[in-house]
Formats: sequence, C-alpha cells, structure tokens
Amino acid sequence: MSAQTYKKSEDPHSGSLPDKMAIYQDCLNRFNESPVNPKLCRTLITSLLELLSHGETFPRQEATALFFSISKLFQHPNDSLRQIVYVAIKELCGISDDILMATSSIMKDVQNGSDLVKPNAIRALIRVLDESTAFSAERLLKNSLVSKHPSICSASLVSSYHLLPIAETTVKRFANETQEAVGDLKQLPYPDENSRYYPTTSHISQYHALGLLYQLKNHDKMALIKLIQQFAGHSSPLKNQLAQVQMVKFVHQLVLKDPNSIPQFLPLIANWLQSRHEAVALEACKLTASLSNLVPNDLFAAAVSVLQGFLSTPRVTTRFAAVRLLNKISMVSPEKIVVCNPQLESLVNDSNRNISTYTITTLLKTGTDKNIGSLIKTITKFIHEVNDDFKIIIIDAIRTLSLNFPEECDTILHFLMESLQSAEGSLQFKNSVVEALIDLIQFVPQSKEKALEELCDFIEDCEYNEILVRILHLLGKEGPTTKNPSLYVRHIYNRVILENSIIRSAAVLSLSKFALVKNDPELVESIEQLLTQIKTDSDDEVRDRASIALQFIDSVKSKKDVSNIAQNFIRPTSTYDVVALESKLSHYLSQGQEAFKTPFDVSSVAKYSEDEKKALDLKRRQEQAFNHTEESSNSGAGNGNGTEKGGRKGDRLDDNSFNGPSLESEEEDLLLSKYVDEMSSLEQFQSFGKCIHSSKIVPLTEIEAEFVVKGIKHLFDEHVVLQFHITNTLKDVALDNVEVVCQQEGLSEGLLDEQEEFVLPIERLLPNEGESCYVSFKKLTQNKDDIIVERFSNSLKFQSKELDPSTSLPFEDDEGFQDEYEFDSLFLSPGDYMKPSFVSNFATSLEELPYESVSVYNIVETNTLQEVIDKLVISAGGLPLENSQIVSHDATQHTLKLSGKCILDNTKALLSIKMIKTSKGIAIKALVKSDKESLAEDLSNNLI
Amino acid sequence: MVNLSLYTVKAVLILDGEGRRLYSKYFHPPHEEISADSLASSLKKQKEFESNLFAKTHGQNSDIMISDDLLVIYREYVDVSIYLIGAIDENEIVLQEAFNGFKDSLELILDTGIDKRSVQEHYDMVVLAIDELIDDGIILETDPATIASRVTKPPSKDIPLNIELNEKGLLSAWGFAKSKLAERLQQGL
Repeated sequence: MSAQTYKKSEDPHSGSLPDKMAIYQDCLNRFNESPVNPKLCRTLITSLLELLSHGETFPRQEATALFFSISKLFQHPNDSLRQIVYVAIKELCGISDDILMATSSIMKDVQNGSDLVKPNAIRALIRVLDESTAFSAERLLKNSLVSKHPSICSASLVSSYHLLPIAETTVKRFANETQEAVGDLKQLPYPDENSRYYPTTSHISQYHALGLLYQLKNHDKMALIKLIQQFAGHSSPLKNQLAQVQMVKFVHQLVLKDPNSIPQFLPLIANWLQSRHEAVALEACKLTASLSNLVPNDLFAAAVSVLQGFLSTPRVTTRFAAVRLLNKISMVSPEKIVVCNPQLESLVNDSNRNISTYTITTLLKTGTDKNIGSLIKTITKFIHEVNDDFKIIIIDAIRTLSLNFPEECDTILHFLMESLQSAEGSLQFKNSVVEALIDLIQFVPQSKEKALEELCDFIEDCEYNEILVRILHLLGKEGPTTKNPSLYVRHIYNRVILENSIIRSAAVLSLSKFALVKNDPELVESIEQLLTQIKTDSDDEVRDRASIALQFIDSVKSKKDVSNIAQNFIRPTSTYDVVALESKLSHYLSQGQEAFKTPFDVSSVAKYSEDEKKALDLKRRQEQAFNHTEESSNSGAGNGNGTEKGGRKGDRLDDNSFNGPSLESEEEDLLLSKYVDEMSSLEQFQSFGKCIHSSKIVPLTEIEAEFVVKGIKHLFDEHVVLQFHITNTLKDVALDNVEVVCQQEGLSEGLLDEQEEFVLPIERLLPNEGESCYVSFKKLTQNKDDIIVERFSNSLKFQSKELDPSTSLPFEDDEGFQDEYEFDSLFLSPGDYMKPSFVSNFATSLEELPYESVSVYNIVETNTLQEVIDKLVISAGGLPLENSQIVSHDATQHTLKLSGKCILDNTKALLSIKMIKTSKGIAIKALVKSDKESLAEDLSNNLI
Repeated sequence: MVNLSLYTVKAVLILDGEGRRLYSKYFHPPHEEISADSLASSLKKQKEFESNLFAKTHGQNSDIMISDDLLVIYREYVDVSIYLIGAIDENEIVLQEAFNGFKDSLELILDTGIDKRSVQEHYDMVVLAIDELIDDGIILETDPATIASRVTKPPSKDIPLNIELNEKGLLSAWGFAKSKLAERLQQGL
C-alpha cells in the first residue's frame, strides 16, 4: 500500500469507503482460489461495487484483470454468489477489454441456471455481446421470451430492447413472440414455503413487450393502429398500468402526426380518462391537454375534472402532476380551467413548495380583475415563507400580470414595493423586483409617478450598489418628464452626499438630465449649482462627470449650433442595440492586428429610439410570457441555458426564467446580417448609398427542394434590390451562370422600372454550396417616401453540368444544357416599410390619427385564427399590442392591434384588424389609421 | 413529440444525511454512446448535481420536485435520502410507481428499516434490489415483494468442500488433486 492510498483511507470524507488497491488485490487473490469461498467473495464484490458506485474507476488493464478473475467464480454453483457476479460483470464490461470471453459461461446459465439467476444471466449476456456476436443470442432470447416465468420473459424483452441499436434484424425475428407476450398474462410461480415474501404478479412484461413492439413497428403506421385496436379498448388484456400508459402514448403519437385520426380514438381517450389507474388517467389528460382545440369541449372538460379530482388527493405526486399540467393549460386557455380555482386556492399553502408555486402562477393566469386583488394579498403572506428561487418565479408571474391588468397596477405596485422593502431576499430577488417595477413604469404609464416616488424612498436605504445605480438611471430617464421633477432631484442629490463613488457618479449623470427640463429655469439653475459643488468631489470620475455635464448644459443654454449635440449627450434620443453592438465589437476584436488599422464602424450597429426600444422590450416580454410554460415554474435554479443566454444579453442579472429570444430567431438574425454584409460589400451597390432597410429572410422553396432559394428585399433611396440566396443540394451537378428572372405583376403602377437595372449572376454553383444572385430595380418616382408594392414571380435560369467524380469539377467539354426552375413569388409588401413601435394607449392613439382606410378580406382556406394572426403580424410589420397576437383556440372572433412606424419618414400607423371565423372561412375587416393618407391606404389594401 | 422510449429513469441515488454519496447509478442505454451533456458522462457533473439536489431537498419534505430540468422523486429518512430521477416530461405517477417499488423493496429487505447503517451493512442486497428494479434506465419491476423475493441473501456460511467417500467420490478427489497439482505447477512455471 503506497503512502498516498494510506492517506486516502484516513480522509474523513471518504467515510467508510474501502481502500481501492487493497480490494483489487484481495479480489484477484480470492477469486482465483480453489475452492472459492462464496461468502467472502460476495463481500469482496460488494466492496468493489461500492467503490465503483462512488465514482472510482480502474484503469483498463486492472479492470480486465478483475473481469477475468470474477468470471472464474462461474465454477461455483451458489445462486447468491452468482447474482452479485452478474451485477459486477455488468458494471465492469464498460471498462474492460475482451469481455466476449465470458459469453459461454453466461450462456450456460441462461440455458441451465435456476429460475432465480436466469433473468440476471440474460441481462448480463447482452452486455458482453457486440454487433458481430449479437446474433448468437437469438435462440436463447427467443426461448426465454416464451418462458412461463414473467421475470425471465421481462429480462429477455428488456435485453432485446437494449440490443436494438446493434442488432435490429436479430430482434425483428421475434416480433411474433413479442406480440404474443403483450397479451399473455403470465403468473409468477407460487412462492415456496420458506419464502418470506408474497409477490403479486405485476404483469410488467406487457409494458416491456409493448415498448419493444413499438420500436419494431415504428415506421409502420397501419401496424401501430392495428396494435392499438388489438390491445386497447373494452376487452383489453393489458393489466399493467405502465403498459396502459404506453398505449395512451402511442395514440398521442399517432394523433400528433395525423390530427384527422382523432375522432376514431375519442372513445378510447374518454375511457382512459376514467381509468382506475391514476397514471393512465394522467397520461390521458396530458394527451387531451396537448390536443386542446382539436378535441370536443366535453372531453376537455372531462379531463379538467379528472385533474380537479387529483388536486385534492393526499398523494403529493398526483397533486404535483395535476397542478403542473393545469399550469401548462393556463398558458394557452386559462378560461377552461377556471372551474378548478377553488381547489387551487386551497393548494396555495401546500407543504410542497413546488406545488404552491405552480398553483400561484396558475391562479395568476386564470384570475379575473375581480379576484386578482385578493390573490395578491394571499401571495404577500406566502412569499415570506419560500426561498428565493420561488420568490423570483412569483415576481416574474406578477410582472406579466401587470401587463395584462393595467387597472390593477396600484395593488401590484404596493405588493412589489413591499417585497422590495422587506429585509429578506437576495440581490437576485431584489433585482427581479426592480425589473418588474421598471416594466410597470414603462408599459403602464398611469403608475409611473407613484412608482418613481416609491423607488426614491427605497434608495434611501438600499444596500445593493447594482440596484441603486439602476434606479438612479431610471430616475434620470423618467424623472424630467414628470409633473414635479424637483422632487427627484432632492433624492438624487442625497445620494451624492451619502454614498460611495460608484453611486455618486451615477447620480451625477442622472442629475444632469434634469437640466433639460424646459419650463423650469429655477430648477436648471439649482442643478448647475449642485453640479458646481460636486466638482470638488474627492473622486476624479465624479468630478469629471460633473464638469462635462456642466459644459454640456452650458452649450445647450447658449443655443450655439452644437447645442443639439450636447443635448443628445445628456439625454440620448436613441441607444444602440446592445446585443448587436457586443457581437460586432467582439467580432472586430477577434480579427487581429490588421483590422485595427481601420477604426470600428459604429454606424453599422442598429440604433433604436425610445419607442422602438420599448417595442422590442414588450415583444420580448410577450414571447417570454408565451414560453413561460415549463421553465418558469421550474424550481428556479435550473435552466442553465436561460442563465447563460440571458447573461450574455446583459440586460438582466437574475435570468432564471428569461430565455432570451428563441435560438432560432437569433440564428436567423445572424444569418440575415451575414447576407446584408455580403450584399453591401459588392461594388455594384456602392453607388446606391446606404441601405434603408432589409427585410427578413423569406423562404421561397421547400427546404427539401433540389435548389433551396431564400429571398431578401433590400430598399435603397432610389433602388430596390432583391437578393436570392440559392443552395444547390444536388450531389453530382454543378450550375453555371445562375440568374434569377423576375417578372413584375404590375402592382407598383409605374413607380418601379419594369425592366431590371442589372442582374448579378452566380458564375458557378457546386454541390452543397450556397451563393447569392442579385436583381436590382430602379425606382421611377422622385419622391423617396413613396411606398412601392410589388409582387415578383421568379424563375431560376442556369446551365447544368454533370460533375466528373474524380475531380468534382464539371467535365471539360461538357457544354451543359439550359434549364429553368420556378419557385415561389416574392412580395414586396407594405409591411417591409414598417417597423414596430410602441404606443401606451392604443385606443386613444387610434382616435387621434387623422387618416383612415378600411378594407375587407375573406379567407376561404380553413386556417385557424392563430395562423391568420401570425401571418398578419408579419405582413403588416407592426408590433402587436395588448397581447392581441394570441387568440384562444375556441374563439370565433378576435381583434388584432398592431402599431408601427414607416421606416421612410417615421409616420405612425395603427392597425386594428377584426376577424370573424365562420363555417365559410375567416372574414377580416382591417382598419388602418395613419398620419399619412397614402400609407394608410397602402397598408390596408395589401395586407394579404 | 411524445417520448415512447422505455428508457425512463435517469438515475437512482442514495445520499447520506450530509449529502454524501452512499449509492449512485446514472443510467444510459448499454449499446449507445453516452452523450456529452448527460449526467452519466462525468463524475464532476454528478457530484455537482448531487450537492445541488441535496441542498434543495434536505429538510424540505416535499417528495417531488423539478431540479436541473429533471423530475426528482425522493424521500428523506433520518440519516439517508433516496432519490429516483427521470426526464422532465415523464409521467410523474409512473415514476412514483417505480419509486414506490424502490422504497418498499428496501423496506422489505432491510430488517431494521431504511437508515445509513443498514444500507451500508446490506449493501449487496441494496445493489441487487436496484438491479432488479431498473435495468439501465428501463423500469424492470415495480412490485416490491417480487423485487425482494428475487434478492438473494448472502451465502449463510462458508460451504465446506464436500467429498463423498465412495468410488465416485474417490475418483473426483483424485481429479481434484490432479487439477490442483497442475494449477500449482503452472503457477510455479
């Protein structure tokens, strides 16, 4: 024993863990003894297993030696030793070599062993086999599968299941036997007299058989339906509840793939909902919930009442499962589960905090403006009793609530302030409260002044620098536009006197913003005085900021021509898109020395004005509320992905439930900026000036097509450029001189030159390559602000050439043949001229706008309302307000409210789109109001 | 997508009263590569997961929870906690069923109830019970009595070498001596 291992055994943390080397030596010695001592060997193997279970491993050579000495123990007939030997073999076969050597010993046991060790032997057998030897187990597995003993049968089924990845053809040969095993009710043999236990047969082999059978018939839908018909229904032979759950899942899978098949399964589902097994009823509820709008209402109601019953069982897991599912339903159709509210309310104080948190978030969803108030009161009591993870989840739920019930903002504000001021809670918790308050101030204007005042009180004794700085910034941003700005100045200046330098400098910035208040010269003067005083501060950062601010204020007052610039410095009207700025900067830094010669071009980063930023924020919140299902009520600390992403976004510190925009949309943004960069680097487009706007990427073919085409519309002052990104998915053909021929349909009424200016073809497109072809059109109008709407029907023209397999290049003398390929048309819609913008009060803003235009559409295709809404949001390019982009599944009418600004001249446009679903289709009436008549008309006439 | 795989259980753990590992098994299908982000792939992740889990469950008495995007069913005893961990979208009651099989079979085979000492003393039987309960992630059996009846006790005494003294016995004794001699000679070589 080396000194090191000796020390290790003294280590208090290893507890009573045996020494690894000693066990290794003992095993080798004892197992090779003859005769073996079964009791001692079992003890040794136990110690070995204990080591492995604690995460110790052996080097391959030692493990192999162990494996071999253990296989020596097969000569001893003792079952109790044999059983533990099999466990050890299973553990070791992952880290040893030449494990095939044990095959024959194990096979002997499978054939001749006692009923007790046979299952163990079967399960060990398939672990020592590999792809080339798996077939040899076929007969043994088949024989065991038809065994009368349920344990042996199960072992064989499970082992076959494990073998699937390496020996599917072998396993397929006992599909018939497996099918029989599903219906076969095998009984355990009656226990012998000296047995202490009285096993009842669980028939779990049915579950294993079904699982295996599904894998074998996976690709055959008809076979699956037959399977369901045979084994589900009234005379179902399935006794095991796991097997029945599996059956429900089969149906689930089928109807997800083919919703038209739902009606035929409805009686089955209704039957399962009444099952005496909770697991089966729960699975049926899950199935019903996920189909939601596709099943009849009475079935859904039946599922809800099953869940309602679950809510009051004494079994924690059942309650948990039910409330979790209800919480999920509440995200999409809260109105359907309102009946559960009484039961839910009694669960608010459940001893399982997971349950109570789910309950509260569910109640917050199903709540109406009548009971929200009392609900918040309950939560106020509850929140003191749970840990921070749960608190944050609840605050997040309240935050979305405040957007949905602006009229309740007083109660919510009161609650938030109380949580903020209470002594308990970590930085993360406080931060999420501040986060919620900021939301409230931004999106619920009527709460603004009160919330700001409360925050002022709070910063008087706040111990967290980060939060203080945020609040100071917020006060600076919102304070100057309130009725009584001087109030805030006092609070902010107090910080300058009392706090450390970080906060002092934040306070200076915040103060300087009040100097821009127009109608109060006195205030401006006192700000100047205050700043002058601060110039003597002990910290140089604080002093610097004060002097600069004074300088700016001076130039603003003197009304020189730089006053605008100075004003912009004090109170920026627009900010950079922080995420884009960060990614551009890190890209710039990664390019190395060469790139540093040219300075970083900040103009390439998108800038957002106040309204746009709010629009973006709101959009993000809405997305978040929508994706809130699982992760949010996750007990907090989980969801590593969210934390990571949110952290990168840098706009929230807590981020337990914030997922950021979905990964897909982020990737798409990246791709888009890549394409735009490609385009703008071409010299042909240099003379066009700056690109005003680039549309989203529009897929113009199926993604499985031979040539995958995606289109992007770029708008310039005097030109419209269409970029077609073409990917060649054929393996053996190259395309030469690829160009896109665009035919206008004439919607632009002469505003756009019918003949394209030029086409930039792709010289050669090799397999699996993607490149862009550009088509440019000249605008004929002199007025830059005219909106041009046009539909382009496109086709691809190219010479296809076969490839020489040896060089992967076209044959030299191949002239190729001319070919054409048509794909979807590209629509330059009014939505391409719109960007989302935020208005706080849709109804009044709508009334204020002077010009209006109304148009009516009728959609005959059987779309759901939600599909139509999604389409409209994209085609109109506005920001959906008041959560109007979400419609409940069974609603027959809906009003979508969109708000946007024209990118050309920033004219406002609001859209209120009413739709009614009838049996004949969906009728749409769009009301567009705008500052400009032509914009309103263009928008309303070209929505679809 | 519905999860139709039989691989439902991700891990079974037994931790002691201070969150240290007594038994752990992280399951993965035997003939597939272990994916890099699964807990089965690294000891460090497992330890992190366990300490996180213990912090969340110790003294909470809530039986079921979600942690790290996994569904956790557990029971805390005086100085030991037992856990069964499944994927987040698993049927909770199915997992509970498996957990009951686990818990009740332990209660059957450990005479003095579930505590740290009896788990350590009868470690072999605990290992066997879990092996009979779950086979690399597939729930093998849920009936506690069936599981308990399949778990063998350690061999009661050292079984002596049994040589019968009749003609056959003599022959076998001779055969035994011969093989023993050959073995010794081989080892000497």
